[in-house]
This record gives sequence, structure tokens and C-alpha cells, in this order.
Amino acid sequence: MEAATVHHHHGPPEANRSSRIHPALLGMLLFIISEVMVFGAFFTAYFFIRVVVPGAEWFPFDGFELPVAVAGVNTAILLSSSLTLHWAQVSIKNGNHTGLKVGMLLTFLLGATFLFVQINEYATLTREGITPQAFAQGTIFYGLTGLHGAHVFIGLLILLVVTIRAFRGHYSPDHHDGVEVPGIYWHFVDVMWIVVYTTVYIL
Amino acid sequence: MIAHLRAPGWYRAAFYIALALGLSWLLLWSANGFSASDVSGIGWVQVSLISAPLFFLGGLGAFDYWIYWASGRPTRPEDHSAHGATSWKDYLRINTDHKVIGIQYVVTSFFFMFIGGLMAMLMRAELAAPGRQFVDPSAYNGLFSVHASILIFLFIIPVFAGLANYVIPLMIGAPDMAFPRLNAVSFWLLPAAGTIMMLSFFAPGGSFASGWTAYAPLSTTAPDGQVFFTIGVQFAGASSIATALNFLVTIITMRAPGMSFFRMPLLVWANFSTSLLVVIATPFVAASQFFVLLDRALGFNFFDAAQGGDVLMYQHVFWFYSHPAVYIMMLPGFGIISEVLAVKSRKPVFGYRMMAFSLLAIVILGFTVWAHHMFVSGMQSWIRVPMMVTTAIIAVPTGIKIFSWLATMWRGVLKLDTPMLFALGFLTMFVLGGISGVMLSMLPFVIHVSDTYFIVAHIHYVLFGGSLFTIYAGVYYWFPKMTGRMYNEKLGKLHFWTTFFFFNVTFAPMHLIGVQGMPRRVADYSEQFANWNMAISIASFFLGLSTLIFLYNMVASWRGGKRATGNPWNALTLEWQVSSPPPVFNFDRIPTVVGGPYEYGVPGAVHGVFEGVETTAEERQPAGAVASTAKE
Ligand code: HEM
Ligand SMILES: [Cu+2]
Repeated sequence: MEAATVHHHHGPPEANRSSRIHPALLGMLLFIISEVMVFGAFFTAYFFIRVVVPGAEWFPFDGFELPVAVAGVNTAILLSSSLTLHWAQVSIKNGNHTGLKVGMLLTFLLGATFLFVQINEYATLTREGITPQAFAQGTIFYGLTGLHGAHVFIGLLILLVVTIRAFRGHYSPDHHDGVEVPGIYWHFVDVMWIVVYTTVYIL
Repeated sequence: MIAHLRAPGWYRAAFYIALALGLSWLLLWSANGFSASDVSGIGWVQVSLISAPLFFLGGLGAFDYWIYWASGRPTRPEDHSAHGATSWKDYLRINTDHKVIGIQYVVTSFFFMFIGGLMAMLMRAELAAPGRQFVDPSAYNGLFSVHASILIFLFIIPVFAGLANYVIPLMIGAPDMAFPRLNAVSFWLLPAAGTIMMLSFFAPGGSFASGWTAYAPLSTTAPDGQVFFTIGVQFAGASSIATALNFLVTIITMRAPGMSFFRMPLLVWANFSTSLLVVIATPFVAASQFFVLLDRALGFNFFDAAQGGDVLMYQHVFWFYSHPAVYIMMLPGFGIISEVLAVKSRKPVFGYRMMAFSLLAIVILGFTVWAHHMFVSGMQSWIRVPMMVTTAIIAVPTGIKIFSWLATMWRGVLKLDTPMLFALGFLTMFVLGGISGVMLSMLPFVIHVSDTYFIVAHIHYVLFGGSLFTIYAGVYYWFPKMTGRMYNEKLGKLHFWTTFFFFNVTFAPMHLIGVQGMPRRVADYSEQFANWNMAISIASFFLGLSTLIFLYNMVASWRGGKRATGNPWNALTLEWQVSSPPPVFNFDRIPTVVGGPYEYGVPGAVHGVFEGVETTAEERQPAGAVASTAKE
């Protein structure tokens, strides 16, 4: 013990890499599995409320309607943010720093727009009487979209960090894990939205 | 003073907690249109319960590095002052060394075990005779709920994570875990979660009282103490998920050269499987508690049948987590038993690959049986029979493991010291618990005994005789490695025999009174069960006392036990090939693995070697002595 502490280590010895996958990437993938399961539990609730409960109805019912078209446009906005993000990632791989900065900024703005539109939608629906307190359909509508919204919010915070670091020049063609790994999270948030949108608004 | 408040540590943590309470109030105040009288007390408590633990961790300094990093400021180069422990104070701060974290985990969990155990003693005092003795029925409900929740979420699950935290990096030849800072966060969430659960006793209306299962609508209509469970479980669950992720990444990416998956010790396999379960299942319990919280705090209707909600949905979501959770509480113990039995019988583990595959089979099957907890819940009856069949099937891989252990010991040279005694105790008790489990999976039977003491007997045979015995085995087995001292063998054996005896006297009769119909979770019972209950209560107090032998042994041996050598058990696995306790970064050189981990009694067999260290064939023979002698 003593001998080891006076030993002038400058850090732990490098661990052996027993897998080609980058630890941060693997960590992110496992985290996403967990996240998918959280959504899975909310979808279970959705399934029960929509299908299992005797006499269950789904929107539109009793004059309560979801704004399918507006949300559709919003979906397009969110999906395009995945494209701009991809463009930013490709840019930094090719050493194009401007592309990275512009791409990250656009992604962030598109994501923020999505969230803004969604909050507006909540306000409108609340005025029409669709609230989580009114009936279970409202509960799970706000539950699922809200859970997703929270993920967008977290994703935006992460994107903000990446953007700041991009502007400070922290990334380079051979050092861009910090763009890749958060990027996977953002893509996940997008894909999850497609599932939520389809099940809640369209089906 | 200001310097104290700015530097990471306990002062700043206390300051941040105060800050969290204040900010939570301001948040509610502004949300209520800046009217102080509209801020509800329980609302403030709820927001505080969520924010205070995070601020507490922030104050201790768990997030400092990330905040520097995220804001793009230059992170302070790691000076490794956060590694290693030279005094007890080093255990009371954010420390990123997996060995320190492992000990923090184990000690904290045992602290909670004693708390939970005391509650059990109180319950047994109440149950010693029919009628009311010490506590009224609602306080009794609170006691058994907090007892179970603390022992499950803050003892069994984390203590396994703690042992694995200490041992896994050493076993696979890694200098630390993959994400050391996340590891520290995982640990510090636990005291927060435990404190929250215990604080519930101070809530108006008493502590949460709807059991560790917190069924809706019981939990959505219970007094405010319930939210302490709802939120406490979230933090414990987040901690488990983060640790599981950390284990998986560590095991997959940081194994020593030559350590293929099928050369990993079974403890590593066991925690690999457990971590898969945690990553996939634990989010479900998180969600179930989100639902409850939203229903309670914001008036959502997840479980309000009048508004189109569904109460049974709670049970499905909860048990989809909690059946896998019983394996989360068992598989790491299976791993410990495999290590101890092989070393103490000086024989290779019989059917090593089958052992690994049966773990994976349990992981998969574990997700197909949840509704066997709901046989009498009024769920759709067609689910019953498939769940009965899968439940019976899942006993098969468990059976395979039992037979492998028996075959491992067959004709071995058994060394009956404390870890081995607990391993054998586990084997017998777990078989009994498994039998009552399979009985419970049979529909006609379970419909009869559901909600009786038969369930209590089953739970305790698998969790106490099963999990806790493996925990004791593991703690004794790795005690020399963790502390550098030997425990007292005599006291260890005394601890085993008293525990084993009084455990059986306490819990075996519960099968009987269960079948006769004594209901569980009630403070009172009919006259006919009086004699048995008195006997059970007396035995349980002795069972409680036997724990003090363990406590004394651990404390006294840690302070003044005999110095332990690097490899007191002559084991092959890598953690025993370094000094006790190991150097700060585990290995000065990463070992190379050249053979299986359990080749005991096989001439010339070696598991790992340190490159550049000369070994003669003779030195190799006594299992595992190679590297430890070379290091001296
Ligand atoms: C062969 C293996 C097992 C089988 C077939 C089995 C079967 C069952 C069944 C059918 C029940 C439900 C009884 C009821 O509520 O009516 C039950 C309850 C329970 N089992 Fe097991 N079990 C097994 C192993 C385990 C293990 C290994 C553990 C934990 C380490 C465990 C922990 C529990 C707990 C905690 C409950 C009670 C849950 C509650 O509070 O309602 N079981 N078991
Ligand atoms: Cu089960």
C-alpha cells in the first residue's frame, strides 16, 4: 500500500482494450436501452388505457381532437434536426469546422423550435379541455409526449454543451467522440418521437 | 467559511441542501402566481425531495468535473487525490477508486441492514402475542413496508453491487471501472435514497404503509408518507442502473489480454447477467413510481378507474420489474457461491459453461413470469396458465446450478471455514426456498396460500437463507482482500451456526401457520396461532443477536486482525494475485490470462501471469501463488 502511493504514478496504467467498441459509445447504447424501457412502460400504460380498459375510446372522441397536422409539421422539424446533426458530424470528420458549428447551431435551433411548438400545443389543448386531469386519455397523452419532451429538453442541454465546445474548437477530425456519442442520443430522441407520434396521433 | 462553502465537501453539501429547499419553495411560489399562501406544504416537500439529493451530490463535488468539462473550461488534470484511501475520512468524500467505492457501498448497505433488522425486531415484538402490544395497526403497516423497502432497495441490491464493485475490476485485470466518476455518483445516491425512506416516519400520517410493492390505488390515496417511497425508489433505481451500465461496459471493454468471456470467473458472469436485468427491468419500476407520483402530485389519472385509468396496470408494470428483481437479488449471490465452492473444495467448477449459460437463460426467462405474482389479482384469467408453465420452467436453470455446485464439491477436499459454511447453508436453504417457490407457482396451491405467512416463509428462505447467506459468504471471503486483515474464524463459525439455527426456527414454522391460513401484513391474528408466534418471536430475537457477533467480528478484525497475505485462500482468480489490500491502481502491470479461473487440482494450471515475471513449473502448481510471491 505505502509502496504503491509513493510510487510516482501519473495515473492508472492503461486498461487493456478487450473490445473494439468505444466505452463511451457502449455506455450510451446501454443507456438508450434503459430509456427505451422507460418508454416501454409508458406505452404499457397507453396500451391499457386505450385497449384494455372496458369501453376505452381514443382521440377523437366527444369532440376532443388532437392537432395531427400541426404535430406532423413539428415532426418534420425534429426529423430535419437529425439531418443537420448528421451534416455537422460528417463535417468535423472532414475537418470542416464551419460546417460543424453551423450544423450544431441549426440542430439546436430546430430542436428548440420543436419544443416551443409542443408547449404551444399543450396550451391550446388545455384551453380546449384536454388536460391530464380530465380523463385518462389526457393523462397518457401528456405522459408520453411529456416524457418525450423531457428527453428533448435534456438532449438540447447536451447539444448546447457540444455547440459551446464546437465554438471553442475542442473537436478535430481525429477527436470527435464528443460529437458522435451525444449525437446518438439525439437520433434516439428523434426515432422515439416517430413512434410516439404514430401511436398517439395517427393510429 | 466562504472557502469551506466553495470547496467540494460536507459544508458545501449542507449549504446546497438548504439552497435546494429554498429554490424549491421559490419555484412553487412563482408557479402559484407569487402567492405564498398557495404553496402547499406537501408540494414543497415533493419538489425538495427530488432536488435536495441532487444538490447534495453537487455540494459534495460529484459533478464538479463534468461541469468544468461541459462548460468547455479546461478540466483540472486528474491529480488522483480522489484515488485510494489512507484514513477513514477518505471514505466520507467523493472518491473515484472502485475499491473505496466498494467498501463505501458494503458498509452503507450493512448500516441499512441493521436499521431494517431493528424494524423487524419491533414487528416480532408486536406479533409475539395476539392483540395489540406496542404499535397500532397503521404503525405496523409502516414498519413492514419500510423494513422490506430498505432491505430490498438499500441492502440486498446495493451490497451485491458493492462487493462486485470491489472485486470485478480486480478479477478481470482492469485498473478501475470504466466510468469512475459515474461510479461515485451511483454510490452517493444511496445514502440519499435511504435517508428519504427513513424520513417518511416524520411525515404527517406516518410512514408509507402500502408494502414494498406500493400497489395502486393504495399508494395513490395513502397519506403523504407514501411519496418518500415513490421518490426514494427513484434514486435507488437510478443508482442501480448507473452501476449496471458501468459493470457492463467495464466487463466488455476492459478485460485483461487473454481473458475471453469463457475464462471469466463466474462472479463476473453473474454480475454481467444481473446488470443486463437491471438495465432492462429497473426502468419499469422507475416508470411505475412516476405514474404514482404524477397521480398524487398533479392529479393525473393513470390509476383512476372512474376517469378511464387502470389499476391492474400498476401491477403489470411493477412485476415486470420486480420478478426480474428477485433475480437481481439472487444472481450475484450465485456468482459468490461459485467462487467460494470451487476454492474451498479445491476442484474446478463442474460444467462451467452450463453455469454461464444458465445465468443467461434465467435473464431471458425472468422476463416471462411476472404475472405469477398476480394470480389472485383479478387479471385476465388466460394469462394464468402460461405464467404457471414459465414459472415452473425457470426453476430448471436454477436446478442446473444447484447440481453443478453439488458436483463441484463431490469428492473435493472441503475446507469448512466460515465462507464455505455460509455457502453450504445457502445451498440447503435456497433449495427449500426454491421448493416453496415451485409450490407457489402451482395455481391451485397459490390461490390457497396467497397473502398468508407461507409467502413470508418463501420470501425469507430465498432472500435471507438465499441472498443474505451468499452475502455473508462473500463478505468473509473477500474480507482479507478488502481490509488486509484476517477475520476471526471462531467468531465467524459461531456467527454461522447461530444464524443458521435461529433462522430456521424463525422461518420454518411460518410455512405451517401460512398453510393454516394466518394472513401476512396484519398486526393481529387469531388465538390459534399464538404459540407458534411466540416461539417465532423469541427465535427472531436470537437471530437478531447473532448479527451482533458478525458486527463485532468485522469491526474488531478490521482494526486489529492478523495481517492477511496476498492470497490466503490459495485462489487462482486475479484479485488474489496482488497484495491485500491491492495497490492504488490494482496492478502495476496488467496481467495476461492464460487459462480458466477454476483449474484447482489440475497440475501446472495457471489462470493469469504477470508478463516478465519468471515462474518455474513448481511455483505454478500451488494454485495461484505465482504472482503474489513474485510481487513481494
Ligand atoms: C424457483 C424459483 C422461484 C419460484 C418458482 C418462485 C415463485 C414465486 C411465486 C409464485 C410467488 C408469488 C406468490 C404470491 O404472491 O401469491 C413468489 C413470491 C415472491 N418471491 Fe419467489 N419464486 C422463486 C424464487 C425466488 C427468489 C430467488 C427470490 C428472491 C431472491 C424470490 C422472491 C420472492 C418475493 C420477494 C416474493 C413476494 C413478493 C410479494 O411481496 O408479494 N423468489 N415467488
Ligand atoms: Cu416472481
